[in-house]
Amino acid sequence: MAKEFELNEVEVWDGNYATSQALRQAQIDVVAAYPITPSTPIVEGYGAYVANGYVDGEFVMVESEHGAMSGCVGAAAAGGRVATATSSQGFALMAEVLYQASGMRLPIVMTVVNRALASPLNVRGDHSDMYLGRDSGWVQIDAFNAQEAYDLALCSFRIGEHLDVRLPVMMHQDGFTTSHKAQNVYPLKDDVAYKFVGDYVPVDDMLDFSRPVTHGAQTEEDWHYEHKAKQHKALMDSRTVIDEVFAEFKKLTGREYKRVETYMMEDAEVALVLLGSSVETAILAAKQLREEEGIKVGIVAPRCFRPFPYDLVREALDVPSLKAVCCMDKSAPGGAMGALFNEVSAAAYSTKSRPMMTNYIYGLGGRDFAVDEAKRIMKEQKAHADAGHITTDIQQFSGLRGPKLGFFQTRRG
Amino acid sequence: MSKGLEGNANRGVRELGAEEKVGWDQVSQGVVLNSFVGETENPAFLKPEERAYNDFNSYTATVASWRIIKPVYNRDICIDCQNCWVWCPDTSIISRDKQMLGIDYDHCKGCGVCVEVCPTNPKSLLMFSEAEGAETALANWPEKKKKEK
Amino acid sequence: MVEIRWHSRAGQGAVTGAKGLGSVVATTGKQVQAYALYGSAKRGAAMNAYNRIDDAPITNQETKMFPDYVFVIDPALAFSDDITKNDKPDTQYIITTHLSKEDLIAQIPALQDKAERTFVVDCMQISLDTIGRAMPNTPILGAFMKISKMYELDFFLDNMKKVLAKFPQKIIDANMEAITRAYNEVK
Repeated sequence: MAKEFELNEVEVWDGNYATSQALRQAQIDVVAAYPITPSTPIVEGYGAYVANGYVDGEFVMVESEHGAMSGCVGAAAAGGRVATATSSQGFALMAEVLYQASGMRLPIVMTVVNRALASPLNVRGDHSDMYLGRDSGWVQIDAFNAQEAYDLALCSFRIGEHLDVRLPVMMHQDGFTTSHKAQNVYPLKDDVAYKFVGDYVPVDDMLDFSRPVTHGAQTEEDWHYEHKAKQHKALMDSRTVIDEVFAEFKKLTGREYKRVETYMMEDAEVALVLLGSSVETAILAAKQLREEEGIKVGIVAPRCFRPFPYDLVREALDVPSLKAVCCMDKSAPGGAMGALFNEVSAAAYSTKSRPMMTNYIYGLGGRDFAVDEAKRIMKEQKAHADAGHITTDIQQFSGLRGPKLGFFQTRRG
Repeated sequence: MSKGLEGNANRGVRELGAEEKVGWDQVSQGVVLNSFVGETENPAFLKPEERAYNDFNSYTATVASWRIIKPVYNRDICIDCQNCWVWCPDTSIISRDKQMLGIDYDHCKGCGVCVEVCPTNPKSLLMFSEAEGAETALANWPEKKKKEK
Repeated sequence: MVEIRWHSRAGQGAVTGAKGLGSVVATTGKQVQAYALYGSAKRGAAMNAYNRIDDAPITNQETKMFPDYVFVIDPALAFSDDITKNDKPDTQYIITTHLSKEDLIAQIPALQDKAERTFVVDCMQISLDTIGRAMPNTPILGAFMKISKMYELDFFLDNMKKVLAKFPQKIIDANMEAITRAYNEVK
């Protein structure tokens, strides 16, 4: 039996440490990992818990992130509760195996500490790796601070392992901004946390010798499509399970999570849609701007990046007073509008209000997202609302040095 | 014929590739394929004819129609060395307790590997036309070859 | 909201110090942030750590701040770092140096008009005397308690002991002595 870890009612933890504590409390059977900045301390922490008897499980050293995810797939197919952590280049190296994990319906939990992708090489936080995973068939949940990283890591096991879901889950947090920023965290006692996560229920496990199974079968054009459709449906349907798990977590802790978080949207005239730690800064900016200038700003933050909450994003934006919405993408868009802009705009198109939609790229490679800059962008949205048409380029760049960069103009003016 | 040669009623019941193609709602979760129907205790210690093979298992499919020539087995010469059993790529050599019983013609594709690896003189397995009857084949079995000096 | 910016070298324990301060403050029901701006920096490279302290939950995730206190825990950084960056009219500076306050200010133009809100303490010498190596991160907190009057010294020492609980008793005692000395010696 694993030893109990003594915890205070309030701890001052950074996102990495909070995450490693949640992984310890979930009593994972196998962690196969290849540490990489800025997620290294999650793996380090877990290794120490195993070595010191706080976890009854295995830590598997591998030669690369491709090996790490492969080890996770093997261990999960064998029938264990499995988790790992990675960032950036490591995430990219795993990419091939991510699709195997989801296609094989293995509920691996991966805590991803978001970091920019090279080149240029950069260890700081943006959402390039998170965006890279968005078609991989994983559930993707986003924590905006260390407390949420702890809470959502626990929820991730419940969501992924639910028998109606059985899909791998990525729990994202922002590199350094969240992963290395210590703040008040209110952890659960070990037994309470484990009871919430629950015992692992294996499905089609290879170690069940009374029911031999083949994992990873090949399918060609006659079967592949049906399997991918079934997988997609499971991911789409996981929305109700995510809602249930969040509701149960609220009952246990009083801390409420929704697939789409909304702040001050009831009477909002303009809104920002964004992900990650910037959401918190944007909330602060919106509150200040409401006080200082009376501009009615609201914030919409998809907590759940996949399955994309088309339903709740649309609901959040279907506010009669809403005129202008800016979607902010913290990932280099590579020759397109930002992904969040595209997806949110698609949801907004089927609302009654059909607000004006603009796109900002920001925060690449860890560029600081300032309260003042958030306010400037909000005021710009107000200018669109007052003019009745988009007064700037549709895609712009926030906090970028050099001549103004922007693309495309509205034809609705 | 022994039970071992016949196999169970489930063996080779359908042409390989002719399985019913169900819709997305009926395919297995995670492309997991079960070898057997329900639970089975220690399947490794059961003979194939005693196992409840699932429809997904190739045991229930047949490739007999793929064959142009077939191996015929001559019990009188065989020394039960198990070479053919080891080498057969389609597990179509039926052997029980190290004794060779014959060919599983539901799964044999007629590749001839078993004949190639047979060490006896003359060979205990030879290829004949698919249409050739076993009795005629055995009646035409060649004589032992003399060693060339 | 109280905001603190640390000027340190990687390896001098600024992050540990900032987290330690945060841990003590959190036990009093306040909300804290402790973070650093570091990345591929090598041991010895200049870096910043930060604290935010407030009664309400802190949602500001911006790195940049307009500090109420600036801690300079490496003597040379007082000269080479832009320690008065984002200065407010009431920003207070606590600087590690073996120099007297007058001698230090005379050599740093940016501090000329800030004499009444600049404080000096020799955390390097204090940590060498007590802990046995240059570890200026805990003594600076003693000086901070004196200047900010945030907590009584005894209260702070008691809580800091809990933060350091994983270390051997000898190290805990040395740190307590270092904090106490800096509290008494800061000018």
